[in-house]
Amino acid sequence: MHTNRSNGARTPWPTRIGVTGGVLGLLLTTAACGGDDGGGAAADGGTTRDDGPVTMRMSWWGSDTRHAATQELIDLYESQNEGVTIEGDFTGFADYWDRLATSTAGGDAPCLMQQDTRYVREYADRGALLDLTPYIEDGTIDTSNLDQNVAETGAVEDATYAIPTGVNAFSVVIDPAAYAAAGVEVPDGESWTWDEMVDTAAQVTQATGGQVYGMQAMGLNGGDTNFEVYAREQGEALFDENGEIGFTAETLADWWAIEKEASTTGAEPPPSTTVEVFNGGVDQALVATGAGASGFWWTNELPALTAGAGTELEFRKFPTTEGDGETGMYLKPAMFWAISSDCESPQEAAMLLDWLINSEDAVNIIKADRGLPVNTELRDQIAPTLDAPGQAAVAFVEEITPDLQEPPALPPQGAGEVQAILQRYTEQILFDQISVEDAAEQFITEVESAIA
Amino acid sequence: MSSTLDVPPRERSHGEAPGGASRAASRARRRRSGRLAPYLFLAPWFAGLLFITAGPIAASAYLSFTDYSLIGAPEWIGLDNFQRMFDDPRFYQSLKVTFIYVVVSVPVQLAFALFLAMILDRGLRGLALYRSVYYLPSLIGGSVAIAILWRQIFGSDGLLNQVLRFVGFENPPGWVSDPDYALGTLIILNVWTFGAPMVIFLAGLRQIPTMYYEAASLDGAGKVRQFVQVTLPLLSPIIFFNLVLQTINAFQTFTQAFIVSGGTGGPADSTLFYTLYLYQRGFGNFDMGYASALAWFLLLIVGGLTAINFIAAKYWVFYGD
Repeated sequence: MHTNRSNGARTPWPTRIGVTGGVLGLLLTTAACGGDDGGGAAADGGTTRDDGPVTMRMSWWGSDTRHAATQELIDLYESQNEGVTIEGDFTGFADYWDRLATSTAGGDAPCLMQQDTRYVREYADRGALLDLTPYIEDGTIDTSNLDQNVAETGAVEDATYAIPTGVNAFSVVIDPAAYAAAGVEVPDGESWTWDEMVDTAAQVTQATGGQVYGMQAMGLNGGDTNFEVYAREQGEALFDENGEIGFTAETLADWWAIEKEASTTGAEPPPSTTVEVFNGGVDQALVATGAGASGFWWTNELPALTAGAGTELEFRKFPTTEGDGETGMYLKPAMFWAISSDCESPQEAAMLLDWLINSEDAVNIIKADRGLPVNTELRDQIAPTLDAPGQAAVAFVEEITPDLQEPPALPPQGAGEVQAILQRYTEQILFDQISVEDAAEQFITEVESAIA
Repeated sequence: MSSTLDVPPRERSHGEAPGGASRAASRARRRRSGRLAPYLFLAPWFAGLLFITAGPIAASAYLSFTDYSLIGAPEWIGLDNFQRMFDDPRFYQSLKVTFIYVVVSVPVQLAFALFLAMILDRGLRGLALYRSVYYLPSLIGGSVAIAILWRQIFGSDGLLNQVLRFVGFENPPGWVSDPDYALGTLIILNVWTFGAPMVIFLAGLRQIPTMYYEAASLDGAGKVRQFVQVTLPLLSPIIFFNLVLQTINAFQTFTQAFIVSGGTGGPADSTLFYTLYLYQRGFGNFDMGYASALAWFLLLIVGGLTAINFIAAKYWVFYGD
């Protein structure tokens, strides 16, 4: 319970509960615990912390490492800023969105929240996020040193609703030793095609008698991003700049055909193993358990993958259709910080946000966990202090940056559903329940209704 | 309330001496405070009912007629949510999954519970111990921990498949990761929680007077005949009770499917239980209006089936004399 908020009047019980409306009764506890956050005379924009103590809530998703590092950040910030109390609120990625949605509905959204590209518009378009423009203009949030590739990615038309925490890229992670052990040439990643990727992967599986699989499925883990890279390589997009579907059914069917080919040739594990491996997350990734030679992962996931693998893993660019290296890859804002429009002390929250991305102290603690720091000066500064996989990620991102495409605009409301829909059709394809063409048609229909 | 209790004190004291009037008044006061006390004791429960149960139920009834994203304000759209269900393939899929689950797992579970109850009823030594051991799965079967354990045991390389490979099956399937088997595995999990109906059956069996069996066996009835002609009719009210209860429970299954499928209802929607779909729409997809409509539709289904159960009961439930 978060009771030590400011001295505001209570929202009447029935209203609160009525708004929260527990269909399952699940969120009743949320409603009951939400108390004491009514609008009051707490520190408003423009006031300084000398006016009295400020308490705000901050939420994020992530691993245990991130939770520990973020708690350290909070402790440091509190010690440097007397009178500021920050309550941390964290969960895993999937639960995070259920929780954020219900707390927002109950009028109890955290002041400062970690956000994701898929959900920024979901919240911003409904007025749940604060436009940060005034704080950027008055210098509270300093954006001058931010990576220009992604600095604007939290903007919707004239407003800026979110500031990226860092950058990463969705890429291919390979275990060179696994290819070598299978007697298969290690892919160079400069000119490989999708066909070559699947062929070499199938060879790995065959050579090892299924002990090591050549690759992990494309359509489950990060499937929406995987397809987005493919679509952009074809000159299309997942969503165009107007937030409409930006690809054709043929392109999606072609991409699924690659997946199907990988499954039938044994480049990938059998479908039910694939599903289990996916459910196991990063820890159970084929390359992390020594059971696979390649997979598709975010650059900031390399440390976790390496920790499991015990061997040196390497990055490769995405394969292309033509083998010309003209990739559809892009630098993605790893995640964002955003401020709730309900926040009682937005000025304080903006100051904290600025500190998290622009202070040397903060970046030294969090390092590359929220992506390579978005502040490029600090990124260069901490790069040498990172562990080997962290440094490999920095080097890879630097190396490929000239070849990358612009990051896509924020996807429309409903984009958070795309991954789940894609995953479901991928499973149906792998289990022979539907053809790639029918799946592509139905996928488009379903996504259209999700973003409508 | 009977009318005498509600007569106001002044009327009742009409025509009495002043002293008598005040005595009557104080008696009435006492009686009134005596009437208040039970309500005071009930108040906490009643407040809970009102705010924690009735309030949200009313709210969800209202929300089912709105487009409500959780974040914005609800917007009245009339019956659109209910119409939308009929064009929603995943709604049908979730109904199909749930009905298969209920229709298969409830009878199997009850048969199993009755079977074990009859064995235990024979007066085994250490009955209390067996009863507790068999009851245990009912207590923990719906928990997250058991669902996680289940996922491990029934995985491709889980305990079950290791045993199967050891005894010679070469390619056992992934019991929870293959759409052909995932629902079946969850049905077995539900059957496994047979303890609660079993304990009730056991109590029911104990109620049947042994003289009926003695009389039947004197008349030459065998064990099977005794079961069909004596046990089943006399136990039918208990069977009916268990049937209604377990059917309602089965319709509300959520945790197991949520955990085993990682919240997706997968693989390929093969474990998309109704409640899981409702949860996904409401809490994952900013679609609380539609989720509320789904919840009310589920209430109609369960209510309807329970009514059918009660009507059918007239034809097979035997309430003795």
